[in-house]
Amino acid sequence: MTVRDRLIGLAEFGDERRRHRAIAALATCFALLVASPVIWMVVRALGAPPDAFALLVSPGTLQVLVNSVVVIAAVSAFSVLIGVPLAVLTVQTDLPFGRFWTVTAALPLVIPEYIGAFAFASAFGPHGAFADALVPLGVTSIPTIYGLQGTVIVFTLFTYPYVFLTTRAGLLSVDETLVEAARTLDRSSIGALREIVLPQVLPAISAGVLLTALDSLADFGTPAIMHYDTFMRQIYVQYNNYAQPGYTALLSMELLVVVAVVLVLESRVSGDANAGFSGGGSGRPGSVRLGRWRWPATLFPAAVAVLAIGVPLAILVKWHYRTGTTYAGFAFHLSDVLHSVEVSALAAVAALVASLPVAYYAARSDSPLSTVVDRVSYVGYAVPGLVLGISLVYFGTAFVPALYQTLPMLVFAYVVRFLPQAVGSVRSSFLQVDDTLTEAARTLEHSPLAAFRRVTIPLVAPGLAAGAALVFLTTMKELQATLVLQPTGFRTLVTYIWKVQEAGYYSEAAIPALVLVGVSALSMLVLLARERYDV
Amino acid sequence: MGDRDTPTRRQFLAAGSVIGTAALAGCNGIFSGGGEETTSSTTSTGTTSTGTTSTSTSRDVDISNWRGSSPLVQDRPMPGGPSITEMPDLEGELTLYIGGGEGGLYQQLATLLQKHYPDFTVHTRYSAANQVLTEGQNGQVRADVFWANDAGSLGVVEDADLAASLDGDTTDLVPSRYHTDAWTGVAGRARAIPYNTKQFSESDVPDSIDAFTDTADLDAKMGWAPSYPAFQSFVTAMRVLEGEDATRSWLNGMQERGHGGMSQYKNEWYVSNAVADGEIGAGIANHYYTIRVISSRPNAPIDLAFTKNDAGALVDVAGAEVMKDTSNPELAQNFVHHLLSAEAQEFLATWSFAYPMIGGVDPVEQLPALSALNPPDLDLTKLANVQPTLDLLRQTGVLS
Repeated sequence: MTVRDRLIGLAEFGDERRRHRAIAALATCFALLVASPVIWMVVRALGAPPDAFALLVSPGTLQVLVNSVVVIAAVSAFSVLIGVPLAVLTVQTDLPFGRFWTVTAALPLVIPEYIGAFAFASAFGPHGAFADALVPLGVTSIPTIYGLQGTVIVFTLFTYPYVFLTTRAGLLSVDETLVEAARTLDRSSIGALREIVLPQVLPAISAGVLLTALDSLADFGTPAIMHYDTFMRQIYVQYNNYAQPGYTALLSMELLVVVAVVLVLESRVSGDANAGFSGGGSGRPGSVRLGRWRWPATLFPAAVAVLAIGVPLAILVKWHYRTGTTYAGFAFHLSDVLHSVEVSALAAVAALVASLPVAYYAARSDSPLSTVVDRVSYVGYAVPGLVLGISLVYFGTAFVPALYQTLPMLVFAYVVRFLPQAVGSVRSSFLQVDDTLTEAARTLEHSPLAAFRRVTIPLVAPGLAAGAALVFLTTMKELQATLVLQPTGFRTLVTYIWKVQEAGYYSEAAIPALVLVGVSALSMLVLLARERYDV
Repeated sequence: MGDRDTPTRRQFLAAGSVIGTAALAGCNGIFSGGGEETTSSTTSTGTTSTGTTSTSTSRDVDISNWRGSSPLVQDRPMPGGPSITEMPDLEGELTLYIGGGEGGLYQQLATLLQKHYPDFTVHTRYSAANQVLTEGQNGQVRADVFWANDAGSLGVVEDADLAASLDGDTTDLVPSRYHTDAWTGVAGRARAIPYNTKQFSESDVPDSIDAFTDTADLDAKMGWAPSYPAFQSFVTAMRVLEGEDATRSWLNGMQERGHGGMSQYKNEWYVSNAVADGEIGAGIANHYYTIRVISSRPNAPIDLAFTKNDAGALVDVAGAEVMKDTSNPELAQNFVHHLLSAEAQEFLATWSFAYPMIGGVDPVEQLPALSALNPPDLDLTKLANVQPTLDLLRQTGVLS
């Protein structure tokens, strides 16, 4: 039963309050469903040996916890500094080739962090390509990339697209008439942007920051390659100790506490903006004229693209050609690519459908329950892929063995992982829709469902597209849940890339990485074309 | 290791095909294609019809199909040991769980076997021991064979009573230290000291792991990967062999050397690669990563040294076990037996640069023979007890 079916059913009730209650129930169900894997964690954590509890508060654990918090704070800040200007440039200005830069700005999201980190260590490490290139110029040593700085640089470059995409959707939904009004009141373009637009897109920005922060928190590879200890290493190390699953679960619970704090902080920021008044946007691009800065302005998206896409691909290609004879130990098939696109598209659609009631409820209701439901939908995202995967193995084999290792179960795992990406984008769009518009539509004798379809959906289309893009791109690179839950024999691009890099054959990762970026770029173009607003 | 009297048992396989065909079948062709069949199977089999149940031990084996394409493995002698031509055909469908990063190579070997036997289909997935254990808790083990990349993982699955006993004629092929009743090693992974040949010569590297804490030349020039499971196995081995206190002071000693201490890496490929780059002078790592670095960069200034009779010289194994709940025990047993064939062992030696487990196959020539290594006397199943090791690594600050 799809949401649409349910909504049709709801429409027949006609009663506003009952409909509202039904949406609330649906949203609550979805949120609980995606949070269910945590139950396994709790059960396991309670069964952990006493020593494990001591580990939770050991000085080492607390130290890496602090390290992690420092990383996510820095990454959040830098992601805003990169993502928001890029979104403003591509949406609000007459930047040349806006659509092209929109795609390049979103693409770093598909590059697996361990590939990005490897490339940066390889390019800017103490004996890397960059250092080698400087030697003839008399530069014998460069500042080290290892440590906090490298970790923050890599995380920022490969996760800022969350902020970019959500901000972009927020900007596209901004009511231009308000901006015009501000201008007639003698405001400059920039002034209008700051005073009218920014408050409206704040929920969208903070939704993106939240995704950036949670992603950085849950990654082990990047800090490890950059020689920096974060909390995730504790979990990774324990995860490899098969005999003691309780430790992993317990540490994951501690991670959840950190996430809960981040979630509360974020809801403070986006909550303040709930009062935002706005009508549906006709977000035409080019409302800010860049004048003679039009061409120089392209340097910014170009520089980001070079660093976040160019450097990783160049390093992989360099490795590819450095190898005298190609190491041909691994078969790489077209079917791997098709599988990736297939599951990513399925996950995007499923997450979008599931996000509608949750986001609508969160945006439209003032009840504390709606806030809780919205926040609970993030819990699955906060569970490391490793832990989520194994808890779904447990649930699958215990309760639904017929679904275990099937595509539906894999897609469910993706929805658990990535629902918040859709919820965040869609909710901030709903927040921008003016209630009076939907009411007006209803007074014109449209049924509530028709009003929703004809008025609300088009208004939130940019948010839906952004949500779908986020889920699609992150599913393209998802690894951990894919490995444990995919149907046996089902291979994707990323499981291939993981396989070769894990064995140390980075030269073999070049072609699949190029394909991954190329296919994702094409998919982005399709998504953008479906958006109602031309870029 | 007196049971490794290899030369007498060495038997040369009839390659069966002329050199021209071998060249045509060059490994690139074999691994690149979906539709392309190997020469070995096209010579004797047509399409995969169900009718052809000829008990064909006559299928030819072209060893070049099983041998790596790296320049490091040219001019090798023919592998000895039992050939797959002497083994019963693999027939039916098998689900193989592969644990660990060598998965891609192991999967290729399974695919080669599938290509060799028209009535054999293998479904592979990458699943580590915790997935097998979790499935086992609910009586839903989906694997017929579990192929792990360390003895510890094999041990925990055996301890959970999920593994069947292996056929005696399979385990008989492998030295007793590298198998139990329930699992057998199929590829050896030796602990080693990769060092940068521009910074050190072999004689600079101590041949005792304990001596590393007293070697001033190595101060602040070494790296390791403490979050990598094989490193933890090494420390577990030291704990078992030398005791907790000695291991603690060794770990402390290593960290105190010089002012820079030890550089930490994500895994042991990164350690080996950093040695080749000269970022560090020496490291502690599994042996095959160094060969892989050389394979992709033939002129890289890196070589291997080995310690003697201590944890630093541990030889762990990747190995396989048959799951108790398999619906096709005969096929599963036969598959594991095939992993110890001359052809499969040649594949593992020349593609993954592992130490072969059977007498007739040599490691690549950059490596000393297995019999020339001096591993400590240690029951490999004890490597499964990792938690005390993690506690120790944390107490000493090697891990946070």
